[in-house]
Amino acid sequence: MEKVLLILALTISSIAMMAQSNYEQGMQKAFQHWEEGNITEATALFERIASAEKDNWLPNYYVALVNTTTAFQTKDNKQVSALLAKAQAALDYELDKDPYNVELMVMQAMIHTAWIAHDPMTNGQRLSGTVMQIYGQAESIAPENPRVVLNKAEFEMGSARFFGTDTTPICLQIEKAVQLFDTFKPETPFHPNWGKDRAMQQVNECK
Amino acid sequence: MKITLPFLAFLFSGAWSLFAQTTISGNVTDVKGVSIMGANIFIEGTYDGATSSENGNFYFTTSATGLQTIIVSYLSFQTFRKEGGINEFSNLRIVLREDVNALDAVVLSAGSFKAGEKARVSVLKPLDIVTTAGSAGDIVAALQTLPGTQNVGESGRLFVRGGEAGETQTYVDGIRVAQPYGATIQNLPTRGRFSPFLFSGISFSTGGYSAEYGEALSSVLLLNTEDIALQDKTDISFMSVGLGVGHTKKWEKSSLSLNTAYVNLAPYQFAVPENIDWNKPFESLSGEVIYRQQLKNGLWKVYAAFDASNFDLNQKNINTTEKVKIDLKNNNFYLNTTYKNYFGNNWQIFTGISYGYGTNNIGIDASKVKNTEHAVHLKTKLGKKISNGVRFSFGVDYFRTQFDEDFIETPESVFNIGYQSQLGAVYTETDFLFSNLFAVKVGLRASYNDLLEEKLIAPRISMGYKTGQNSQFSLAYGIFTQIPESEFIKYSDQFNSEKASHYILNYQFSKNRKLFRAEVYYKAYSDLVKYDTEAVVFNSAFTNTGSGYATGLDIFWRDGKTIKNLEYWVSYSYIDSERDYRNFPTQATLSFIADHTASLVTKYWIQDWRSQVGFSHLYSSGRPYNNPNEIEFMGGKTKDYNSLSFNWAYLLSAQKILYFSVSNVLGSKNVFGYEYATTPNNEGIFNRRAITPTADRFFFIGFFWTISEDKKRNQLDNL
Repeated sequence: MEKVLLILALTISSIAMMAQSNYEQGMQKAFQHWEEGNITEATALFERIASAEKDNWLPNYYVALVNTTTAFQTKDNKQVSALLAKAQAALDYELDKDPYNVELMVMQAMIHTAWIAHDPMTNGQRLSGTVMQIYGQAESIAPENPRVVLNKAEFEMGSARFFGTDTTPICLQIEKAVQLFDTFKPETPFHPNWGKDRAMQQVNECK
Repeated sequence: MKITLPFLAFLFSGAWSLFAQTTISGNVTDVKGVSIMGANIFIEGTYDGATSSENGNFYFTTSATGLQTIIVSYLSFQTFRKEGGINEFSNLRIVLREDVNALDAVVLSAGSFKAGEKARVSVLKPLDIVTTAGSAGDIVAALQTLPGTQNVGESGRLFVRGGEAGETQTYVDGIRVAQPYGATIQNLPTRGRFSPFLFSGISFSTGGYSAEYGEALSSVLLLNTEDIALQDKTDISFMSVGLGVGHTKKWEKSSLSLNTAYVNLAPYQFAVPENIDWNKPFESLSGEVIYRQQLKNGLWKVYAAFDASNFDLNQKNINTTEKVKIDLKNNNFYLNTTYKNYFGNNWQIFTGISYGYGTNNIGIDASKVKNTEHAVHLKTKLGKKISNGVRFSFGVDYFRTQFDEDFIETPESVFNIGYQSQLGAVYTETDFLFSNLFAVKVGLRASYNDLLEEKLIAPRISMGYKTGQNSQFSLAYGIFTQIPESEFIKYSDQFNSEKASHYILNYQFSKNRKLFRAEVYYKAYSDLVKYDTEAVVFNSAFTNTGSGYATGLDIFWRDGKTIKNLEYWVSYSYIDSERDYRNFPTQATLSFIADHTASLVTKYWIQDWRSQVGFSHLYSSGRPYNNPNEIEFMGGKTKDYNSLSFNWAYLLSAQKILYFSVSNVLGSKNVFGYEYATTPNNEGIFNRRAITPTADRFFFIGFFWTISEDKKRNQLDNL
C-alpha cells in the first residue's frame, strides 16, 4: 500500500513539477524572444502561457507590456492601433479580475501614454487627466512601488518641460524611485522588476 | 486495501497519456488566400503551440488528448477558435477574418461630421469649439466654419443646406432638446444654450441621417455628455461679459458636476458701445447639473439645465419714426435622463426622457406677448449585435408639445392661441458590414401625429465603399419629415408635415492627420406651408402646396501635419436653392442663402510663448433680398460678407489660461440684408434700412482657472 501511495505521490509531484517547469521554461523562453527583439514569438508564447495559467496575471501583463513598448517605437498608424488594442485586450482580462493591482494600473497608464505620444493633438487632452488619475490612485495604494513613482514622475516631466515649469521636485521623485528600485524585491523572478535603467538615465538627464 | 493491477494500469496509462504526442498542423491565410506569417496557434489551456511560418504553415506536437480547443490569433484579425477532438487538428486550413472593429473599416460618412473620442475620422475636436477664432465658445458658431452651413450673422442659429434654422434638431445624449437656443428677437443674434466643455462627442449631420432621428428636415446636431468625470475639480472663469463657476465631484462609481454662469453685457457695453439702443443690456443666469452613475453593465445619466435671461432695448423700425421698445424675459428649463445597459447575448437597451419648458414675456411698446412651451420626448431603443458584421436596432419615440400664447394688445383685448401635438414613431435599422470595404445601413421610420392626424413612412439608406487604403465613397438617401413650425400650427391644424428627400454622394480621403472630403447633394422639398397674407395671422389661408430644392457641393480640407505646430482647415460650399413657400409670389432663393461660402481656420502653437494663436476668415457672397421698388421678386443682392477674427490663448500654467479674441478685426462693414417699409413714401419709393451686425467688432477677454485636487497634492502642473 505504502509503495503504491509513494508511486502515486511521485507521479503527482512529477506532474506538478513538470507544470512548474513548463511555466518557468515558457516564461524564460518568452523573455529570451523579447530580448532578441522577436516580438511576435514573445507575444505568442506569453499568450499561450496565459491560456494555460488562468489564475496568473503575469503572462497577460507581459502581452500588454511587450505590445505597448513596441507601439512606442512604431510610427505606422494602423500598426500602433493594432498593438495597443492587443495590449488593452490582454490587460482588460486581468484588470477585470484585480482592478487594484498597481502593476496593472501602471500598465494601463502606459497604454494611455502610448496613445498620447502617438497623436498628442487628438489624445492629449482626452487622456492626460486619466493617466494622472491612475498614477494618483496607484500611488495611494503602493507609494513604495518604484514603477509607480518613476512612471508618474516621467509623465509629469513631459508636461513640466512643455510648460517650462521647475523640474526639481520631479527629479527628486526620480531619485527616490532609484532608491526604491534598490530595495524592491519582486515576489518571483517573473514578477515585474523593470525600470531601474530608465530611472538612472532620467537621473542623469536631471543633472 | 488490495491494489489491483487494473487500477495501477489505469493510473499509469493516465500518466503515460500525458506524454503521448499528437501532431497538430495546418496553414493560416486571410480571406483572400494570402498566407499569414506570425499567427499564434495553440491548444487552449496548454503550453503547446507554434507561430506560423512565412508561407502560413504551422506544425507542433501536443500531449493534450480528447476534446480540445485550438486558438489562432493574429494582430488586427479576429481570433479563430475551434473545438474538436485532438486528432482532428491536422492539416487544418484556417482562414482569419480581418477584425471589422479594426480602425480602418469603411465608415458611413455621407452627410455627417464627427468630433470627439468615438469618431474615427475627426473633423473637429471638442476643444476646437473653444479655440476657433470668432466662435467665442459657441458650438454653433464653430460649426459654421464647416461646409454646408450658411453664415447668417443676424440670427446666430444653424442654417443647413438651404434649410431654415428650425429644420435642424438638437439632441443631447440621444434625446431631443426642444429649445436649443437662447431667446432673442429678430435681427439680434442668439447663441446655443450649451457649454462646449460639457460634451465629449459632437456629431453634426448635414443630411441623410439615421432613421433614429425624426422631425428634422435638414440636419441633426448630436451632443454627447462625458460618460465619466476624470477627477474632482473646480473651474472658475472671469470674462469681459460675466462670471462662471463649476465644480465636479467624483466618487467610485458616480460623479456630479455643477456649473453656473452669470452674463451681463452692461459693463462691456459701457467700454465698447454697440449700435444697439439698450434700456437694459442683456443679462442671464444659467446653470447645469450632470449626474452620472455607472452600473454593473450600464450607465445612468441625468442632465438638467436652467437659463433665465432678460433685456430691454429700443429697436429701429423702418415703418415708424420712433424706435420700438422691446423687452424680453425668458425662462428655460431642460431635464434629460438616460439609461443604457448591456444584457444577455450582445443586447443593448437605451432609454431616455426629456422635458423642456420655455416661457417668454415679450413687451412690444404697449402690447405684450406671453408664451409657454412644454415639450416632452420619450425614447427607447433596443439593439443587438447579431454578428461582427450585422447590427440590428429597433426603437420607439414619443414627442409631446404643448404651446400656449396670449397676445395682450390692451388689458381688455387678449387673444389666446395654442396647440397640443403628440407624435409617436417606431423605427428599425440594420447595419451590414459585408467586409472592411463595404457597408450598408438600411432603416425605416413610421410615425403618427395626432394633431395633424397623419401617418408617415420614411425610408433611409446609406452605404459606404472603400476604394483604397485611405479613401472611400459613401452614398445616402432618405425621406425626412417635420411638423410645420409653431408659428403656423398655433393658428390651424389643417396641415401635412413638410417633406424633404436627400440624395448625397460623398468622397473622403484621410491620411496622417490630413482629411479631404467632397460632397454633392440634391435635396427636394415638398408640402411646404404657404399662406396668402402679408404676415402670418389667425385668418391667413394656409396650404401645403409649397415646394423647392437645394443642390450643391461642399468641400472640406483639414491638415495638421504639413507645417509643424500649424493646424488649419478650409471649407467651401456652393449652393443653388430656390423655394416657393410662405407668401412668395414665385419660386426664389431665400434671403439667408449665399451662393458661395468659404472659411479658413488656422491655429498655430508657439511653444516659446506657450500660446496658441488663431485666425479665421469667413466669406460669403452676396445674399438676396426683396426690393419692393423693383419688379423682380427677391432680385436684390447684398455685397459680399467678410470677417476676419483673431484669438490668442496663453497658458499661464497648465491650469490657468488667459484668452483674448476679436471678431472682424478689419472692421468690414457687413450687411445681412435690408428691411423695407411696408408703404411707399411721398415720392412713391419704399424706404429701407440695412440690417447689420450689432457691432463691427466684438472683443472678448477671459481668464479660465481649473483647480483640481491632485494638483494641490503634487504641487505640480500637468497637461
